[in-house]
Parts: sequence; C-alpha cells; structure tokens
Amino acid sequence: MSREANLSVAEREFVLEALRQGQRLDGRQADQYRPLSISFGEEYGHVKLQLGKTSLVVRISAEVTKPRDERPFDGLFNINVELSAMGSPAWENGRSNDAEAYVANVVDRVVRHSNALDTESLCIVQGVSCWSIRADVHVLDFDGNLTDAVCIAVMTGLQHFRRPDAVVRDGQVIVYGIDERVPVALNITHKPLSVTFNAFNEGKNLILDASLKEELASEGELVIGINNGGEVCFLSKFAGAPVDAHDIVEKSNVALEKVKEINARIDKVLLADLSRRGKKGMMEESRAENDREIDSRTTTVV
Amino acid sequence: MVGPTVSLSGLRRADGSASYKCPVTGYDVLGAVNAPVELPARKDALRPEDATIEVFVKPGNTTAGVGEGYVESVLRSVLGSIVLGREKGFPRRGVVITLAIIGGEAVERGDSYLTILPALLHASLLALISAAVPLSMTFATTLLAVTPSGQIVQDPPVEDVANAVSLHVLAFSSKGHLLLNESQGRFDFETWESVREQAASICQGANPRGSDGDTAMDDESKDGTLDNFIREAMEDHLHRVYSWKIESN
Amino acid sequence: MATPTASAVPAAPPSLSLPPSQFARLQPHAYLLAHLSPPPASNQPSIRANGRAPAQFRVTSANSGSLTHTNGSAVVRVGDTTAVCGVRAEILHTDDIASWSVSQASSGNTHKRRRLGDLGGKPTEESDDTYADAQDDEDRAHIQDLNLLVPNLSLSTGCAPGFTPGAPPSSLAQSLSHQILSLLHTSRLVRADDLRIWYQPPNLGREDLERHNEDEAMDVDAGPGAAGLSKPREIKAFWVLYIDVMIISLAGNPFDAAWASVLAALRDTKLPKAWWDIDNETILCSDDVSQARKLSLRGFPIASSFCVFDADAAAAYRAVVIPKADEPKRRGFKQTWILADPDGYEEGLSQERACLVVDKESNGQGKTVIVKMEKHGGWIIDTEDLRQLVSMSAQRWDEMKQILEQC
Repeated sequence: MSREANLSVAEREFVLEALRQGQRLDGRQADQYRPLSISFGEEYGHVKLQLGKTSLVVRISAEVTKPRDERPFDGLFNINVELSAMGSPAWENGRSNDAEAYVANVVDRVVRHSNALDTESLCIVQGVSCWSIRADVHVLDFDGNLTDAVCIAVMTGLQHFRRPDAVVRDGQVIVYGIDERVPVALNITHKPLSVTFNAFNEGKNLILDASLKEELASEGELVIGINNGGEVCFLSKFAGAPVDAHDIVEKSNVALEKVKEINARIDKVLLADLSRRGKKGMMEESRAENDREIDSRTTTVV
Repeated sequence: MVGPTVSLSGLRRADGSASYKCPVTGYDVLGAVNAPVELPARKDALRPEDATIEVFVKPGNTTAGVGEGYVESVLRSVLGSIVLGREKGFPRRGVVITLAIIGGEAVERGDSYLTILPALLHASLLALISAAVPLSMTFATTLLAVTPSGQIVQDPPVEDVANAVSLHVLAFSSKGHLLLNESQGRFDFETWESVREQAASICQGANPRGSDGDTAMDDESKDGTLDNFIREAMEDHLHRVYSWKIESN
Repeated sequence: MATPTASAVPAAPPSLSLPPSQFARLQPHAYLLAHLSPPPASNQPSIRANGRAPAQFRVTSANSGSLTHTNGSAVVRVGDTTAVCGVRAEILHTDDIASWSVSQASSGNTHKRRRLGDLGGKPTEESDDTYADAQDDEDRAHIQDLNLLVPNLSLSTGCAPGFTPGAPPSSLAQSLSHQILSLLHTSRLVRADDLRIWYQPPNLGREDLERHNEDEAMDVDAGPGAAGLSKPREIKAFWVLYIDVMIISLAGNPFDAAWASVLAALRDTKLPKAWWDIDNETILCSDDVSQARKLSLRGFPIASSFCVFDADAAAAYRAVVIPKADEPKRRGFKQTWILADPDGYEEGLSQERACLVVDKESNGQGKTVIVKMEKHGGWIIDTEDLRQLVSMSAQRWDEMKQILEQC
C-alpha cells in the first residue's frame, strides 16, 4: 500500500458536482484556507502547526560544521521532509515516495532557493566553520495540502529559532549556551510562502487549500510561491488539466493577499510567544550575567 | 518529582497513537500504530503464522542512523514478546509502529540510546493499546544510572548520564517478569541486583517479589508506581472511549 | 503439533519414519525438544541437536594479521560463524575538524563535552592504574565527539541464504554496527592518547626536539603535562580507526564472533610513528616498522550470547498460560533451557536472547566486571539465571583470552 485509497466514482462525482455549483465539501469559499493554528514548544524553533486536520511539527536545529569548499562564505541550510506511516497509512516507513519527493522539492524551492534564510550570515570563520541550520518536518496527520502547511511551519520555525551566540577569539570559536548569552535570531531576508490551488472540471474551478478528498478528486495543481512584496519566487503548473493564463494572474493576486494574511498571523503568534518568553527570560538573563564571570575562565579549553 | 504526561489517540489518520512526555529528561515521543495492515510479501514468509512487527524510530533533528537501527531491533523484540500476533486478523499482517522524537536532545552517533529507551517503550505500548492491538500483558520501564559514588539515580539528567559509571534500563511486565534488561558501563552483579530491586519498586511498588513469599500488595504501596501510571492512563482512555456506554447505564 | 517426545520417533511404523535431517526441518521445535529432554529411562544427558551441552560454546579459533593492507586484522571463527576484521588507520588533521576550534563557553546543557582538566577528581574505586578517571573523560570527549572509531559491519552476500547482493545494509547489520560502536565507547577499550599526533614547538634547540619526538614514541602515557617547562605541545592530528567487520559465514550468534574479531584486530593493530613536520606543514609517518607501536588497550572484554528455548512452543502467543513471575516453576519437568552460543537453527526457535560482555580485572586475577548485559524478547531469564550466565561468561572469558592471546 503506497498510495492513498482512491475515491469511489460516486464520491468523486459528488465533489465535482458540488464544485460546479460553487460548493465545497466543508462549506468553505473557493479562496478560503482551513482554520490555521500555530503553537510553539519549549525549545526555540519548535513549531506545531495545524491546518484543518493536517497537522505537523517542525524542529529547527543548529550546529557548527565546516562550510562547503566551493562556498567558503556560506553556511548550510537543509530542509528535511521524511514522511512516515504516522501521517498516513499510505506512506511506508523508511521508503521515499512520490509525495515526499514532491513536497520536499517545492518547499526547498520556495524557502531555500529563494534565499529566505540568508546563508552568508551563518558564516563564522571563512572556510573553517559555519552554522548548519536544519529543519526537520514531522507530519503527524495528513489531510491534504501538505506543501502550504510545511512552508508555513518552516518559515515560522526559522523566524522563531534562536541560535547560540558564537564569538571568534584568537582563532577559537566560542559558543555560548542559550542560558549564558542572549541567543541570536536568524537573518530572514523575505518571507515567501507557497499557496496551492487545485483545478477541477477542466480547469474551470480553482480552489485554495484542498483537503485530502478534494486532492484525490483534483485534476491538476497550481502552486505559487510568493512573498509579502508580491514577488513570485516559485510558480508551478506541473501537469493535469490546463489552466487559463488569466486565472494564473488572478490567482497570483489571491495568493499575495493570502500570504500577507498568513504572515501577519505568524508575526502575531511570534510576538505573543516571544513576549511570554521575555518575561521568563529577564529573570534568567540577570542570573546569566553573574555566571559569565565564571565562564570566561573556562573558555580557554582545548 | 513531576511525573510523565501522556495522552492517547491524539492523531487522526493512524489507527492508534500516544504521546509520552517526560519532564525530567525532556523527551517528548509521539507514537503511532497502524495495525493490522497489509505488508507486501517480504520477510514475513519466515513466520507465516504470526504478525510482523515493524518499528520505525524517527529522530527529532538528525537523520536516522545505525543507532536507530539498534533501538528499533530492541523495541521489536520487546514488543514482539507481548503482542498477540496470532489473534484473528493478525497473522501475515503487519503491526507498524512509528515513533517520532519531537522533543528533547538528539542522541548523537555512538552515544548511548538507553536514555530515551523508556520513553520510546512507553509511547509504543500506549499507542498499541490505543490501536486496540491484542497484548498478553503490559509493562513499565525505567532508566537508572549508577553514579561514581555508588548511588542509584532514577531518570538521571544529562550530566549524570555523562558521568555515570553504568546505565540500566529495565522493563517489568504487569505480571512481574523481567521483560527487558539493557545495562552498560562497568558494574558487578551485586550492583545490578540492587538496581533491579530499585527498578522493580519504581515499576511495581515497594514490595519486591520473593522477599517473604507474600506477594499480595495493597493498593497503597502501588500508588505512584509506573505500573499504576500506565494502568491509570489506560483507564482514562477507556473511560473516554466508552463514555457513551457508561453514561447510558 | 506432534507429540514432542523422543520415543515417538523410533516407535513410528517404518513406512512413516523419517530420517533425522527431515524431521529436523519439518518439526524443528519437537526435534530440539526431543534432544534436550530425553526420556528418563534412557539415562541420556540432555543434549542439543548439534551435539553440544546447553552451556557449551562452539569450538573457536582465531588468527590475527591475516590481511596485508591493514594496520591490524583478525579472523575469528566460532563454529560455522566466521568474522573477518580489518583495522585501517587514517590521519585526521585538526584543521579538518569543524568543531575542533570551537569550544563551549560552559559545559552545562551542551552537546559536546570538551572539558579538559576541569573535572574534580572522581573517587577512583579501582586502584588499577589502567583506569585513571580524569583521563577517561578526556578520552571520551575525543574519541566519541570526534568519531575516532568508525566500526562498520557488513553481512556479505552468501554468508547465509537470506542475503542477496545489492541490498542496503540489513537492520541486523546496522544493529550490530551500533552495538560494536557503543561497546567500544562504553568499554573505553582504545585510549585517545594512542590516537593523538602531537607537535612540540621547538624552543630548546634542534637536538631537544629530536629527543622529545622520541620520548613521545616511547612513552605513550606522557600527558600534556609531561612536556614540562617548554611551550605546551599541541595536538595536530588524530588517527581515525576504520574498523571493518565482514561476516563471511553466518550460522547464528554473529555478535560474539564480530566482537572477538574486533578485539583481536585492535590487539594486532600497529600505528606508524607520526609527527608534525614544521617545514612542510604536514604530518609525516615513519616507514620504519620498528618505530611503529601497538595500541595499549584497556581491559579485555569478551562477549557471550545466549538464547532461551521453551518447551511449550505455544507459550509465546497463548496469553492465558503466561504464569505470574512469582509463581513457583513447576518441578520435575524442565520447561526451559538456556543455550549458550546458539547456532542459526536454535536462534530460529527462540525469541528470547541475552548477551553479556564481561572483563576480569588485573589480567584475569581480579573480580569479574560486567561491561554490558542485556536481555530481551521474552520473560524467562531473571536474576538467578543472569547470575549463572555471568559465571558462564566469566568461564568463557578465560577460554577466549587464551585463544585470542595465542593467535
């Protein structure tokens, strides 16, 4: 079993006929996302996201490594999407499948290739050491539109994450623990998100944020990766039913509106979480101030 | 001490799921079970009369390596001894257990996997229960570290693990058997015996078996034991699942 | 299932009788059970289908230095299970280690434990000079964090019928690789000091430098402090040991053979003398064999594995018959046997496994130390059995030590 079970003919027809009459299964508008909820774990960069019934966890982590020889000024950034049987019984553990490759590819292009995270800022010592940032995606429940959910969660995670502070002294890189020095936020250059539309009835109906049932009945996909400034950084109309070029332009506008909306949501939850941490953090910081005296002695190790 | 927190059946797509969070070690493990499922004809040809148990451990922020391969084989072996894989509907099918470590520090290559083993075991047991997979018994498991001064510490924090002389993970079945023992470090048998005694009292109550032949434990001595904790989690779960029936009575 | 008694076999009518080899294939459980529980009247001892007593290990032989192009190698054969191990040493320059020039401001709550010298001396219970504790922690920091030991086990094609060419490493191979790595770390078998390549900045003149280099080659235990008054010497590189184990024939119990081959190969390993050459800014190795030195290993841990055979083949899946642990075992009729060093046939008939790794202090004279003890897969082995297994493993230690020392 490596695919989702197909819809029955009746179910498919029901979905399509409803769309012809301008209705969706869950009563949403064509251009409406399912309810989105974002929360954070205790660690920095631990994001729990729920989009309708699709839910996932993203963890961001950082470690010091050697930069690649051909790019000595750049740090490393990787997004790791591995679908396990937890998200859907159709996915087999330990084997990659088409969905995994597809989602990983789109997210990679929207977030990584568009340079949303400034990798040059991750360089510590040229050619010797740099930060390697890693985003791990754990899909807990799959109910359609994984791409957008992963994009939102990864972008939120990158903005939430704080890496430890590092200082270079006499060729020695000294890494300060999170409780010793205020950790550093990552340098985010822009905030692109993907917005996925599914085509039905020979491209006549284009709907946003399809649920799993809708995805199974869908005839084609249109993915637009766009940031707040309206710059399109990814556009894919891969296969399936043809879509009118005018529709793509029109949907780009819809996508821009949605991205602005979601980014505003992200900013809001980030702010709320950081101010919650701030209250706790103030106390710890004042304590860390005292500790630093002691720490400076132990920094000469190795 | 703050006990672990669990919740059952939190996921929608999997047949059963459980989340297990241990505040002392910081580990947060999410387990999902799909059972019984069709498996493509594979190694299950070896034991056609039994269910094939597959365990998959997905580390939180690294790629799975040989360490996961090892811990998967231990989990498979322990769970294989309690899952009733010959019940109706299970032979030739698969019991697929997926465990994602979504909180806590990663286990680095070559580091001991024992620290996270109890969380993984508890999460998979509760997920199996949530998926209604027939089991012959339940179990409770704990991690103990022996410090250089000879003290035995339960659920040691990271620094204690690094300095420990030996580490032990023991699992006891609900019927009092020693289901699993994983010990590493340097220790002698007497040390292990006292570790076993302490682990048994953590898991099953203050009355280690065989002390005077009297095995009847009163409810008080069972309070706060891990066995009891698992039992309460199960009872809560059943109450929720059967609330429609209980209320109609 | 056929009545599992030995007498049933010869009593069957001739037309239905089977040669033992076919009976073994058709009713493996009954076949082994018939061997282990002979009828009381026959006065035969309980014996396994392969002719061994339950506590008997297979004949073991070892040979070291078999491979030419390695720094150390060994072949260990335990019955029909054969493991070949080759150790290859490669130089890892500190400039190539990303985390080398990185230090944590404090050790609390961090991944890497690189605290040199700031350890309060832990009470040393063992007077044995091979276990200096401060040294131990430093060793762990270097060997473990820098991955200086890289074992890899492969179950090669054809070692057993189930292994086909081109398949990814099986979960068994992965699991064994991890067990070897983890045991190398917890037993602290290899000293980090043996793997360090030092550089002593010259401030005493050329001859002194010459002498220092020689000193280091001779005196492996000289810590950083031994350099004394001169400039502190620095580590320029490490030896990384790639420990490749190949199971060329698998007939049960691969771990014991694999670990024995790793131990024998490491005992055989010789590292050439290496030093930092300031003029060429590189590491140079001497090709003089007499200058190469062996590793000084800590202890001599030996692995012994066991499996449990249950007379009642149904016990594993009939929930109702599982007795409580505290119920007295039924007397008179023995229900379970613990079989030492199981072969492939026996492994197929048992679920429960136990593995012990023990060492003896003071070269075999002192008390037995357990380095690793694990059991899983069933509920039969408990305290008393484990106590027995420890003493059996201790006996096996004597045996194996003799074999490995003579190879």
